[in-house]
Amino acid sequence: MKYSLLKIIHVTGLTFLEPIVRLCYGEEPALQLKKIGRFIVVPVVAVLVFVGIWNWGGPQLKTKSGEVPTPGVVAEAFRGVFQFFVRENTKEDDYILTGETRQAELVRVEQRLNDLAALKQSADARVAELEIGRDEFLAKTVGPVQKELNDLSEEQTSQEKAMLDAIKQTAAGITEKSSTTDREALIAAMVKYNGLKKVNNEKLKRIQEKLTNISSVKYQPYLDALKQQTNVVEEIIFLEKRKELLTVGNRESKVAQSEADLERLKSEFATATGAQTLGLANRIVKTEERLQTMEKSAYAKPWTLPLQTLRSLACVFTGFVLATMIAVPIGILCGLSSTFMAAVTPFIAMFKPVSPIVWLPIALIIVGGLIPDPDNHWLLHVLEHLPLIGWMKINPAFIASAVTVALCSLWPTLVNTALGVASIDKDHMNVARVLRLGFTRRLVSIVIPSAMPLIFAGMRISLGVGWMVLIAAELLASSEGIGKFVWDMFNNGSSATFAQMFVVVFVVGVIGFLLDRIMIILQRLVSFDGAPAAI
Amino acid sequence: MNAGRIPGMICLLVLMTSTMIASGQDVIDFLDIEKDKLKLGFIKLTDCAPVVIAKEKGFFADEGLQVEVVAQPNWKTLLDNVISGNLDGAHMLSGQPIAATIGYGTKAHIVTAYTMDVNGNGITVSNSVWREMQKSSPELNSPKPVHPISASALQTVVDEKLAFGEKLQMAMVFPTSTHNYQLRYWLAAGGIHPGMYTEADPAGGRVDAMVELSVTPPPMMPATLEAGNIQGYCVGEPWNQQAVAKGIGVPVATNYDVWKNCPEKVFGVSKAWADKNPHTHIAVIKALIRAGRWLDETDSKGNLINRQEAARILSRSNYVGADYDVIRNSMTGYFYFQRTDKREMPDFNVFYKYHSSYPWYSDGIWFLTQMRRWGQISKPMPAKWYDDTVREIYKPDVYLTAAKMLLDEGKIEKEEIPWTSDGYKPVTTDFIDGISYDARDPIGYLNSHIIGNKDP
Repeated sequence: MKYSLLKIIHVTGLTFLEPIVRLCYGEEPALQLKKIGRFIVVPVVAVLVFVGIWNWGGPQLKTKSGEVPTPGVVAEAFRGVFQFFVRENTKEDDYILTGETRQAELVRVEQRLNDLAALKQSADARVAELEIGRDEFLAKTVGPVQKELNDLSEEQTSQEKAMLDAIKQTAAGITEKSSTTDREALIAAMVKYNGLKKVNNEKLKRIQEKLTNISSVKYQPYLDALKQQTNVVEEIIFLEKRKELLTVGNRESKVAQSEADLERLKSEFATATGAQTLGLANRIVKTEERLQTMEKSAYAKPWTLPLQTLRSLACVFTGFVLATMIAVPIGILCGLSSTFMAAVTPFIAMFKPVSPIVWLPIALIIVGGLIPDPDNHWLLHVLEHLPLIGWMKINPAFIASAVTVALCSLWPTLVNTALGVASIDKDHMNVARVLRLGFTRRLVSIVIPSAMPLIFAGMRISLGVGWMVLIAAELLASSEGIGKFVWDMFNNGSSATFAQMFVVVFVVGVIGFLLDRIMIILQRLVSFDGAPAAI
Repeated sequence: MNAGRIPGMICLLVLMTSTMIASGQDVIDFLDIEKDKLKLGFIKLTDCAPVVIAKEKGFFADEGLQVEVVAQPNWKTLLDNVISGNLDGAHMLSGQPIAATIGYGTKAHIVTAYTMDVNGNGITVSNSVWREMQKSSPELNSPKPVHPISASALQTVVDEKLAFGEKLQMAMVFPTSTHNYQLRYWLAAGGIHPGMYTEADPAGGRVDAMVELSVTPPPMMPATLEAGNIQGYCVGEPWNQQAVAKGIGVPVATNYDVWKNCPEKVFGVSKAWADKNPHTHIAVIKALIRAGRWLDETDSKGNLINRQEAARILSRSNYVGADYDVIRNSMTGYFYFQRTDKREMPDFNVFYKYHSSYPWYSDGIWFLTQMRRWGQISKPMPAKWYDDTVREIYKPDVYLTAAKMLLDEGKIEKEEIPWTSDGYKPVTTDFIDGISYDARDPIGYLNSHIIGNKDP
């Protein structure tokens, strides 16, 4: 038991659990406690210290888009993102609900709407009340500075004007007979005037900045009340939409409506004569067709972060598989033949450093050329009707992103495979020669198994690179995924934007970490001699 | 051929004609939707509202359409997606279908049958430029200066920069955007030359410029202004209100000042798509007309009743996504010029009244004249060309068919649609410089301006 546990820990790379297991079996308690201290307590403390510094330091760094969000605000943003996902899913479910469950849901929605009406009233009242408080607060903080600014600006304007007038007078007084000193005096006056203007502008700018800083301090109770109000109103809008989807907007009722239309048309058709029948027949056929698509229709919901994340994962996986399929065979050939290696080296050296930003437009243009009419392309149709990935709506942008991921991430696998194959033990190769193994047999029984640990080490790096590249590719291709989410949220420029970016940092980080762990496990599983311990 | 068969052929002809008439009537009361799952694109600006509202309020669903509304990163990508078929249609700049059709920039035949809104843009300058303007024009130095503010107040700043060998930098959102033409119009009306597009500089439009204009995507405007790369910009909402909210700039004019009720965005689809899906096109326009009407609905006192809800919907992160209070300002008829200067602007965003959603030929021609005025159209064109071109792009017949169906269904009132118009608005002088615009005489209009190309 103990050893199989330790084996699992070893394979999964979760070595920090090892001391706990050993401690449970009473093995050298002092040593194990020391290890626990180092590998568990220290990281936990480090995380706590980080959160503490973040919590304290965030608000110190002020920007015009608000202060750096604290962990609490980020958690709130995460909740918001998740709520959006849940609500859209609820709407989707509501659209296809039928019979009694639909009625039951409707009753619940209406009840909640009733409760919210009262809540909304109190929230509105609170906002109106605090609006006065806010105006007073602003008058107290911003008012004096604004006045100072206006006064100063007025004073400067008159001062500058007076000086300019004096200069103009001097200039007008200069005649043909005026001496050079007079002329120089004018220049000196001009210099003085310009100097004054510069000083004045500096002064103004300083007060302007002060004003900006002061007016960025918001009246917190009012903001809280607004937020409260927003939450209530948004829930009301959400429930109103649900109500619609549970009644007239529901699939069942729409189908019923269409069926009624069809009945009416058919009865009209039964009594119609002449040319009229033709139009009616056409409408009956079309209505029947529409009825059929309607029966299978679903609520058109927007993309939400959890689904975008899944789509990103699918995209990176596609790119990764593509990269591996290209890199491993070429790598093996490189390892086997130094001539081939010499031929391929210039390409590796040249294409490896090319940035995803360059590959993507090329990939987009090529994929766009291969799939000119995405609506009617057979490949996309096939993909759309596959069970597990149909909902991802694979489109040219997705394919271009995956290709970009492949182009950027195939290099580590290629190089590692070549290295792995080239450094196979000479004895193994000699044995193969002695046994007169054919090329295929040699490949399958000797070359690939020996090179496997290094191939997997390369693939692990490739996956990491691919995951980083993907976000940029999606952002540029506006292919639905985490990258598109980042760009959309940034473009929103709302008060939540900043926190949403932090949410993405953690989502991307955690997934990247998990992908890496998975690759480590695979790598350990294929190594016969215990691959070098990974961090 | 044998004579006995002729009556038979006549019978056949009569039958065919009557079938055609019957199917012609069919279009009016029954839409045979060719495609029921649509993807429509939009840019994060409040004037995408009709598309968003038509989806959220179920107007698309009423037409049997399942519509996905997808944010696009910039105008270029949006147009490319419409052309490539990734999108079925989109919220577009008025100039985009025109420029694409005449082949300025990306070449493709785009048509429009619906004007999404009029007005809705603002011109914002940075705080320091505003201070300079106040110094040179002391009448601006009040908490509520008199509007409209002419670009001549900017003259001193521009001259001072030029004296140092620099040019004031301002941004707009796209070379063929309404913002580009409005900003140029405003500057030129104040005697400041905004630069020409020439063969040597077809994309920049900076030849002879006293103020240089460049392209920045709308959502990036405040950040670019703050970074000091530009000193002013012309953009739609909420990005002017955002500058006020962040305290980084001051809106000095709206496009309502530049031209009262000027067309802003249209709903564009590719010609190929419109030909392939004529009934779907009508269905989409029907839903959009209802959405525009919903947005402009007022109570008996003339207050807009649905705008609060619209602002709530638009503030969701998958739509415009900016904060509700920022979107609310302009959507509910207010506009902050400074923190202390809040004004009522009931017509800042108009989606339906004044027959504004009808695709007016005269609106399209105005954009063509501006393209010629600033050299984007490099050769002089005869007046007839303007009329012919605009008829290729603006499709009032689709609009009227959709409106007729809505009227029959009792969803709109008769006086809300200009049924008998020939597509030309009456001559107007509602411009900041008071120059009269007659769309039937584009050449004369071009020649009535001091700055810009003039044609024989």
